[in-house]
Amino acid sequence: MFGKYKPMWGEKTQLKSSYDAVIIGGGLHGLATAYYLAKDHGITDVAIIEKNYIGFGGAGRNTAIVRANQRTQYNVPLYKEALDLWPILTKELDYNLMFNNCGNLNLMHSEAAMKAARMTIATAQFHGVESHLIDAKEAKELVPALNISEDITYPIHGAMFHPPGGIVRHDAVVWGLARGASKFGVEIHQQTEATAVNTRNGKIVSIETNRGTINTNKLLISAGGYSAALIYGMVGIKLPISVLTIQAMVTQPLKPLLDHVVSSGAYHCYANQTLKGEIATGAHMDQWPNYTTQTTAHYIKHQGEALSEFMPCLRGLRFMRIWAGLADMTPDMAPILDGNDHIEGFYFNCGWGYFGFKSCSASGKYMAEFMAKGQAPDMIKPFNLRRYEQHKLMGETAELVTYTPNN
Amino acid sequence: MSLTITCPICGKRNGYEFRFGGEDKGPRPDEDSLTPQRWCEYVHLNECVAGVQKEWWVHKDGCGSWFTIHRDTVMNVEVAKPEADR
Repeated sequence: MFGKYKPMWGEKTQLKSSYDAVIIGGGLHGLATAYYLAKDHGITDVAIIEKNYIGFGGAGRNTAIVRANQRTQYNVPLYKEALDLWPILTKELDYNLMFNNCGNLNLMHSEAAMKAARMTIATAQFHGVESHLIDAKEAKELVPALNISEDITYPIHGAMFHPPGGIVRHDAVVWGLARGASKFGVEIHQQTEATAVNTRNGKIVSIETNRGTINTNKLLISAGGYSAALIYGMVGIKLPISVLTIQAMVTQPLKPLLDHVVSSGAYHCYANQTLKGEIATGAHMDQWPNYTTQTTAHYIKHQGEALSEFMPCLRGLRFMRIWAGLADMTPDMAPILDGNDHIEGFYFNCGWGYFGFKSCSASGKYMAEFMAKGQAPDMIKPFNLRRYEQHKLMGETAELVTYTPNN
Repeated sequence: MSLTITCPICGKRNGYEFRFGGEDKGPRPDEDSLTPQRWCEYVHLNECVAGVQKEWWVHKDGCGSWFTIHRDTVMNVEVAKPEADR
């Protein structure tokens, strides 16, 4: 039990004075980008600079749900690829990511919601993503715990059923990618804080850290909820982002009763049963920007009320843990993947809001291609920052997001 | 979250009575010679400061007035106007 352990992602190494590429942020997107840079493009002289420890931020705070039932033509293919990559990554990394392909059920509580679901499903089917509209009775057959009676606050009209989605063990993805990247020679430097970015003639030349200067001409900032503040603070690029604290919690473990991810917009709540048996549930964000990652009694109460209405068998359960993370929300609910535009050699990947976990595999793959070739691959071209000044917002939501001051 | 905000009319109240109105970006840009870049900056772009920022709030469940305060976004508390801005 007290044997000698070797870190899975290589021994601690000295920070070199120069790398071919530097990635700020040891989260899922940073690790995935480093992995694909090394694997697909042969760029192995890469340093990941992480202020805390890998998986400190959103990577370890999400509720591990994966799906590809987004709304617009640009987003669906990207999330589909991310979803398709889980079984492939499990093999490639030789690490069990525990992909539980249980399917997602989005509950609809009005005719208007059913109509919106029809449109989303049409988009999904056009892009080859399996998604169906089912009525309340069929939903009850899939998830017997559902309350489909008329006398709850928001009676269930039907649901959007998306079988390819499910749950992936988020820590396993962090560890698997870190091990996979370090096997190719990528260096992961934890407890290392980037403090400044130096440019010369509009090109990246080096970055400053608390452990010294690193020369590089390729830099990616991919620091999840902290990206926007870092990018503005160190590079001076302002982003259309609001950073909000989002909360989640788990109940005591139960015997298996819920074999789908169930979510409801009207109740503002989603729930799934983890492989340990806990009901993991979340969705609430405080409606003003902050970096606290604090949790609130207000929300535990809301969650208890919502869950016990649409899944009454959960009444009387105890919550065991509650936690929070950061979500960097954009006005169109779509991410920003850009680079080599404002400053040569400077790339950034942010604005995923609460979709950062489910997308990390595909985003890493395409950001790596972007960094290796200097040209944005077609898949992520539409996600550039300039779309906001060209008024080409993505329309991932029917209206601008409730959480931002925009509406 | 235990945020309190000082409304200029109603005084110090529970933060949930208010709605966040965005970072303070100065006056609305002049419409003559307005570029898409400048308008985008005014409408969408934020500094996302991890620290003290000046921002707009509206007393939604109260008197309805719009006003600015300074708030520390890391501690999530209203703070006095920093010396530099006085």
